[in-house]
Amino acid sequence: MTMSTPEEKNKTGLPLVHLGIARPEELAPLFADLRGRFDEECACACDESSWKQFRDTWLGRKSGVLTQITDNWLKPATQELKRVVGQELNQLRAHVESNIEERRKSIEAGADETASARERVDLSLPGVIRPIGSHHLIRQVLQQIEDIFFSIGFSVVEGPEIETPYYNFEALNIPEFHPVRDDMDTFYLDLPKGAPQPLLLRTHTSPMQIRTMEKRQPPVRVIVPGKVYRRDNPDATHSFIFHQVEGLAVDNDITFCDFTGTIEYFVKQFFGPGVKTRFRPSYFPFTEPSVEFDVSCIFCGGSGAAAGGGTCSKCKGSGWIELFGAGMVDPAVYGFVKYDPKKVSGFAFGMGIDRLAMLKYGIDDIQVFFQNDARFLRQFP
Amino acid sequence: MKIVYNWLKDFVDVKATPDELASRLALSGTNIGGIENGPHGAVIDAEVSSNRPDSLGHYGIAREISAIYKLPLKPVTPKPKESTAAKAADAAHVEIQSPELCGRFTARVIRGAKIQPSPQWLKDRLEASGVASINNVVDATNYVMLELGHALHAFDYDKVRDHRIVVRRAKPSEKIRTLDGIERILAPGICVISDGDSSRAVGIGGIMGGAETEISFSTKNILLECAWFEPVAIRRAARALKLHTEASTRFGRGADPEMAELASRRCSELILQLAGGELLSGVVDIYPGKRAPKKILLTRAELLRIMGADVPDKEIESSLSALGFSPVRVDQNRGAEGSLLAAWECTQPSWRADVEREIDLIEEVARIYGLDKFPPRLPAARQGAARLPHYEAEARLRERLIGLGYQEILTIPHVAEDRDALFRPPDVQPARLANPLSEEANVLKSTGIVTMTTALEWNLNRGQRNVRLFEIGRHYRLRGSESIETPILTIGATGQAREKGLYETAREYSFADLKGDIDALGAFAGGSTWNEGGSAWLNPAGRGRIALHNEAIGEAGELTRRVAEQLKLRQEIFLAELQLAPLYSAIREAKESRKYQPLPRFPGVERDFSLLLADGTHFSDVVAAIRALNIQEIANMEAVDLYRGKNVPAGQYSLLVRVTFQSRETTLTEAQLTDFSARIITALEKQLSAHLRST
Ligand SMILES: [Zn+2]
Repeated sequence: MTMSTPEEKNKTGLPLVHLGIARPEELAPLFADLRGRFDEECACACDESSWKQFRDTWLGRKSGVLTQITDNWLKPATQELKRVVGQELNQLRAHVESNIEERRKSIEAGADETASARERVDLSLPGVIRPIGSHHLIRQVLQQIEDIFFSIGFSVVEGPEIETPYYNFEALNIPEFHPVRDDMDTFYLDLPKGAPQPLLLRTHTSPMQIRTMEKRQPPVRVIVPGKVYRRDNPDATHSFIFHQVEGLAVDNDITFCDFTGTIEYFVKQFFGPGVKTRFRPSYFPFTEPSVEFDVSCIFCGGSGAAAGGGTCSKCKGSGWIELFGAGMVDPAVYGFVKYDPKKVSGFAFGMGIDRLAMLKYGIDDIQVFFQNDARFLRQFP
Repeated sequence: MKIVYNWLKDFVDVKATPDELASRLALSGTNIGGIENGPHGAVIDAEVSSNRPDSLGHYGIAREISAIYKLPLKPVTPKPKESTAAKAADAAHVEIQSPELCGRFTARVIRGAKIQPSPQWLKDRLEASGVASINNVVDATNYVMLELGHALHAFDYDKVRDHRIVVRRAKPSEKIRTLDGIERILAPGICVISDGDSSRAVGIGGIMGGAETEISFSTKNILLECAWFEPVAIRRAARALKLHTEASTRFGRGADPEMAELASRRCSELILQLAGGELLSGVVDIYPGKRAPKKILLTRAELLRIMGADVPDKEIESSLSALGFSPVRVDQNRGAEGSLLAAWECTQPSWRADVEREIDLIEEVARIYGLDKFPPRLPAARQGAARLPHYEAEARLRERLIGLGYQEILTIPHVAEDRDALFRPPDVQPARLANPLSEEANVLKSTGIVTMTTALEWNLNRGQRNVRLFEIGRHYRLRGSESIETPILTIGATGQAREKGLYETAREYSFADLKGDIDALGAFAGGSTWNEGGSAWLNPAGRGRIALHNEAIGEAGELTRRVAEQLKLRQEIFLAELQLAPLYSAIREAKESRKYQPLPRFPGVERDFSLLLADGTHFSDVVAAIRALNIQEIANMEAVDLYRGKNVPAGQYSLLVRVTFQSRETTLTEAQLTDFSARIITALEKQLSAHLRST
């Protein structure tokens, strides 16, 4: 049974007694060995970093070879040996110090500029490659949108994906049998008999408008990122799940001009200052006036013409791309949350993130977002 | 709705080209799907929003154009020649028994018409509109529908028993064969047009006529129905019958009750022109749903409050007039142009049921004036903005996982029931869908693991062998009739942890990689601990439960071969799932309570103990035995090497434990270190029957 220390075992680490040396004449070969080892290592120290390591090995204050000799050989030596060890040590020290300094000078003088091709690194080879992951593209786009709106005073809130018809429809001024419900074909949950109310997968992030206003008094400025679901058969441009960012601003002085200004600010931050915008009147039950928001086509620069002739396929030649729906909050909605529609006004918008990401990055199949192919994920680190 | 450009010219003298016109229509609220140039001129495809049934006819579009371009709209005033001898009222009888479903029913009678193919000009317009030509009378009803936006129906007068129409609710499981030849079963709540003693259904009100009374080439006398049906009832009925027609679209969105008589007159005029015959004088007009037009006030103050910029008086008045709202200034400052107190009393036209409130009038004014005339501005924020409470914790977890080599994924929560069941804890109630798109997607994932394995499978099937993934998402469960969405972090990994490269050898991903990476996340939360156990889908020899401050937050391990084989995953799969809410709050607390530790001033000394331990003795047992000695100077204990095999007796393994001693007060002496080591060795020998290995 033994116990070991982790330190390297070499001769300078042990007292002379342990090396079996008792007579002064036995010292000379010992020091000669060391000098030989030094010269060998010196020849190998041909750049700055290896030179530093070499210097520390020999002259390091704590555990350099010279320090070890002083601590382990000289200090515990018998009177008889001490004198000779001292002499030998001084000679070795002089040799070591002068050669180390020489070496430094020669390295600095660029002597190693002439190092052989074999010794040089091949810069065309890769370094050590550590596997590094990636952010999902949708997550990146969501973050960018969140940051833009956060910078102009919008807080971020989240809500349930499983909703009640009240929050998803009724409180947003969409009663049962409203034609808009036909456009939002909805998934319902299979609940046990006697369930107090049906549950559905939210078809938009708008329910959080209601939930937020129920909890907070104006001023309200929030965005709501999240997943939404519509019962569409999947293809390249449809998915029954996609991501939305809902926005809502309500205060006692918010106007249509504030609304268009906010949206324009966002779009120029997101797509760049060169993009043109337009608002077209539209219809949503929970906004009035309602608009569809278009940006100039980022593929043809708004000309409507394809680069190779013919019409641009992305905007069908119109020069515009429809981005999302929005509008001033319909006063009927305030009735559901007990705000006074005569005192407050505001705007709301709901943008599809998947579509924004597809436009911005030229993705032609929405399904790639959910297949999670590592090769796709790696494209957007 | 297909808009035939030349047809518009019947009502408004528009000079703009079809392209210009389409663009102006789009910017004033009529969504344009495209323009086609066909044999009958330009046809604009208008995607009319559901609140604007008035735009489902050329006349309504012409009214929009007259407002946009400030052009006069030609009135529609048909004056068909009527019989001097016979009255419609004597020839036909109408009774409405369900005024809640049918607010108006008009009937005209034409005798001696000659049913024949329509003339070319009529066929052309119908064809351009995408409507098939049938015969001159049916075509006349369709033509008027496309022109005025109101659906009509022509009966063979002689097939209507007693020449009597009764409008009523359907009887339970009442049957009718509709014009398309399909026998349909009706439900109460559906409006039925019946004849004679009202026992026979001859039409589904506002949706489709019946086959038994339809116009044929032998028809001589015509009973022309032009009615108004309640929109919600129509939508309900159309949805229940799965029967969506041009008529149900128009009535379902809210047709114009005043238009019923006008459209009937226009259609009679057209039938006389196309098929000849004699129009009996007058009209049978039962109108229980007649309502006085509503007055709506528009004030400049409200317009400014909502829109944020002004619109000149003239623009307000001309656009509202053109749209039929007959605005009248009613404020005390009448005559003062641009007055801030200006108010207009408007009359809601019968074709605009969607405009009931001041805000609706504001929208009308704004869209005709032009939304681009309201200058955009960025409003000042009055409050600080807040991120989500877990924003920072989530971001740090995500960044660390990515740094550790994991790729973030997003999965669709809809999964197959049997696949979900593989990972679902036995006491969990899944969130099944009542109306799934397919059996492959009939339940919402009750764990994140189920979709994680799908993502791994996708990659393995595509030659991506070394994959490390994570998802920050939710799982979905039910408790009774309540839904529970739980935020979770799911991790999945397979293949090599390190691929062979220029400088390193390849190494397979192992449980230790997973544990180390999870502990790297746990470090944010002040450290995670591991306990025995885990779900049945995890290999009992390579799994564990993860806890923060003794609260279990998840589990991790290797997928059992049984499940891997079921999923056809042919290499070792490692999975973990952690609940995020407790993790987030622990991260927040750890961050708030973290304090600076002064750095030690005296050197630490390491001592290695090479131990032979019996299988089943854990590193944690060694740590506990040493801890029990209560040596304050022990700063750290770590396992640095583990070995089984050659030179190690069966049933035992070799573990190299490194202990670091450090004092805050002094440099430790050799004597102290020797004493510590001796005590440690004794304790390990006694309590764990450990043997110190010779080197
Ligand atoms: Zn384009």
